[in-house]
Amino acid sequence: MESLIGTDPKIVFAFWLGVAVAAMTLLMLVVIIVMRQVVLHRERVHARAVAFWSTILVAEPGFETGPVPPLPNRDLSGFLQVWNEVHEPLHGATTAHLGRVAREVGLEQRLYRHLGHGGFHAQLVAIIALGHIQNSESFHRVEHFIDDKNPIVSLCAARALMQIDPKRAVSKFVPQIVRRGDWSQGSVASILHEVGADQVTRELSEATLQANAQIAPRLIRFLASVSPEAAAPIIRNTLLSSKDERLISTCLQVMTHRDDLDCVRPLLAHPRWHVRMQAAVTLGRLGVPGDEQRLIAILSDEQWWVRYRAAQALRNLSFISVDDMLRIQQAQADGYARDIIRHVLAEQTMGVAA
Amino acid sequence: MIDFSAVADFIRGIPWMQLILTLQWVFLAYFLAINMAYLVLNYISVFSIIRYMRDHRAEYLPKSLASYQPPVSILIPAHNEHGTIVSSVHSLLGLNYPEFEIVVVNDGSTDHTLQEVIDAFGMVEFPEAYRRRIATKPVTRIYASSRYPQVRLVDKENGGKADALNAGINCARYPLFCVVDADCILQQDSLGRVVRPFLEDPSTVAVGGVVRVLNGCTVHNGFLEKIDLPRSLLAKFQLVEYLRAFLFGRLGWSPLNALMVISGAFGVFYKERIIAVGGYRSGTVGEDMDLVVRLHRSLRRERRPYRITFVPDPICWTEAPTDLKSLKNQRMRWQRGLAESLAPNFGLMFNRHGGAVGWLAFPFMLLFEFIGPVIEVFGYAAMIPLYFFDLIPLQSFLVFLFVSVGMGVLLSTNALFLEELSFHMYPRSWQQLRMFGVAILENFGYRQINSIWRFMAVIKWLFSFWTKGHWGKIARDGSWQRHGERAEDHGT
Repeated sequence: MESLIGTDPKIVFAFWLGVAVAAMTLLMLVVIIVMRQVVLHRERVHARAVAFWSTILVAEPGFETGPVPPLPNRDLSGFLQVWNEVHEPLHGATTAHLGRVAREVGLEQRLYRHLGHGGFHAQLVAIIALGHIQNSESFHRVEHFIDDKNPIVSLCAARALMQIDPKRAVSKFVPQIVRRGDWSQGSVASILHEVGADQVTRELSEATLQANAQIAPRLIRFLASVSPEAAAPIIRNTLLSSKDERLISTCLQVMTHRDDLDCVRPLLAHPRWHVRMQAAVTLGRLGVPGDEQRLIAILSDEQWWVRYRAAQALRNLSFISVDDMLRIQQAQADGYARDIIRHVLAEQTMGVAA
Repeated sequence: MIDFSAVADFIRGIPWMQLILTLQWVFLAYFLAINMAYLVLNYISVFSIIRYMRDHRAEYLPKSLASYQPPVSILIPAHNEHGTIVSSVHSLLGLNYPEFEIVVVNDGSTDHTLQEVIDAFGMVEFPEAYRRRIATKPVTRIYASSRYPQVRLVDKENGGKADALNAGINCARYPLFCVVDADCILQQDSLGRVVRPFLEDPSTVAVGGVVRVLNGCTVHNGFLEKIDLPRSLLAKFQLVEYLRAFLFGRLGWSPLNALMVISGAFGVFYKERIIAVGGYRSGTVGEDMDLVVRLHRSLRRERRPYRITFVPDPICWTEAPTDLKSLKNQRMRWQRGLAESLAPNFGLMFNRHGGAVGWLAFPFMLLFEFIGPVIEVFGYAAMIPLYFFDLIPLQSFLVFLFVSVGMGVLLSTNALFLEELSFHMYPRSWQQLRMFGVAILENFGYRQINSIWRFMAVIKWLFSFWTKGHWGKIARDGSWQRHGERAEDHGT
């Protein structure tokens, strides 16, 4: 240190900067090691709790009436993990045994505390667990989480509410589906399937009818997946009246009614290629004799995907055999049309279609 | 005839002390700027990773319906990869993802790559109506397999990795494509994790993932079984380097939507957007970075909302070179790739619509990643004569070395901290201490030699000594394919 006396101030500054950096580095190392030890300890406690409570919550039939041990606070996270995992395959239903365990360990009160004061993970696990308990009294405690900014929290809350009281929850859930562009669509569809068509069809249909072209494709897809019957008139109406190509495309993808094919056929000449392509796919799925001529006409489309899907659609038509396909191929003057049929026939032979 | 006495007079006339003092300030300012920039990136990464771990550490949401997961085409460009290609495809077939296809592109291999794939997967020639949406070297044949309907093989004339990838894009059937190097090992859930940002934000056009060092790990049936530290010191240095590069080098830029690199070893892209920018640029060695920079430039120019995102999950593992020659080739190739990506996209820098990428990331890459090695090597080179001619006191030299090494160790320790905050793949205390030791040790020789290689690459690039892009070959023996054995037990 004495050697720094009378030294250039820049060197002194650099030296002390180095000392500060070294101190920060050592501090960081200590933090890493302490954090590791804490995490290891927590993981050990958690694993012990998971193993212990698994034997109780997943009790063999006949051993379900035994006494339930007290649930210490340190075991709560392990208990909740098992609790939620056990309920997942039950799709919202709970069993008498699990209900008894929940009552005896005072689970709901503990979960309410988590909801009020827990961190992100604790709150989410509590919301999910309350959904599985399905006690209508917890509805109002979970309710406000559906408006949470975080899409994971709000979506978990929506699912819990739909499990607790679907009739009440659907009027909150559907408007959120419309509003929340950040919700995972696959998870929304999964929740809708869990609760079933009866609970959601009416609200979802109304919301779809009122939605703008931006949101409607999302809603039509959900509605068609839970209730194709309810979706059919909306799809027909959209195909007849809408000018929005994205919406039309979505309707073509989800339509299931042959009666509406008259709305589809003109779309084979739509200026946008993805609409022509979806129209071809739909005809391949639902088409009737006579539609093959319409599909043959677009085998020479300028877009590869339209040609490809048209050829696949022809192949999918139940009344078109491989020999018919070969005849169609030979009759084509256009090389692209011949190539695409050859491609699709080879796919069929090898079972490698996309 | 040169008048040497005049030259000597000129040199004597230069105000050396003034020049050295000025340079001293320049170097000091540069040193402070680069370290501050890295520290800021580091702290952004801390917040990003905490947020990411908070949202994704557990699967809170109900399982997404499979029909809502977009199908993905996995592209594997292969040039003389006969040692690894078959097991790579086998391991990819085991991925846990609802719908995907694997397109192997044989880029004119001169070894048995093509025949091995044909034999292993029962491929037969397929009359595909090939679409040449991006121009490539001629595709000679396309193969498919009835035993493995997900696998296709494209055989084409040699044109480099970028050209092979473009041919793969032409053949891809699905809206998203994933690029995977033939020698990489993926986790079973890799694809699901890296596709997630596309589902969370529809404006996402590209997603990159973390690449980790495979050396020292145990692989079974094409999947990672046990994670451990490499035995070779050179691989250990690279392990710490990869942590630094991926956990804060890239994660730091992602929240600013200014990520400029998605590793060529593993990345997922929205196909139509890539075709719209012309696909990969052939004739470059840094085709991966070039593509991402062009994506930014094109989308910024069109003023479209978009996201280029980075997922910090450890999803792709690759064998790091363990000999200096291969390492040198790799680093020089990376540096040249950086230069080739920055130069043609210079218009992005400080562009009115450049956003964070144009105003922060591009200048950062240019100043610290491209010019950095030049300044560093000049700094080292200058120290020697300055010390011998007594122009710099020993004390100053030692203090500067102390600060420089200290900053290097601090940045590496911060990367270890990020790793601890997130995935703690190396959970034992001795592993952490060993990595800390490596973080110190790398400052004495490894860092300098790396800077020298990168400096050489800059000079070579400036003088265009290299003629064209080619496949960078690194000595790898694919020993991780053998069941339950460590990579280094076979001398890689």
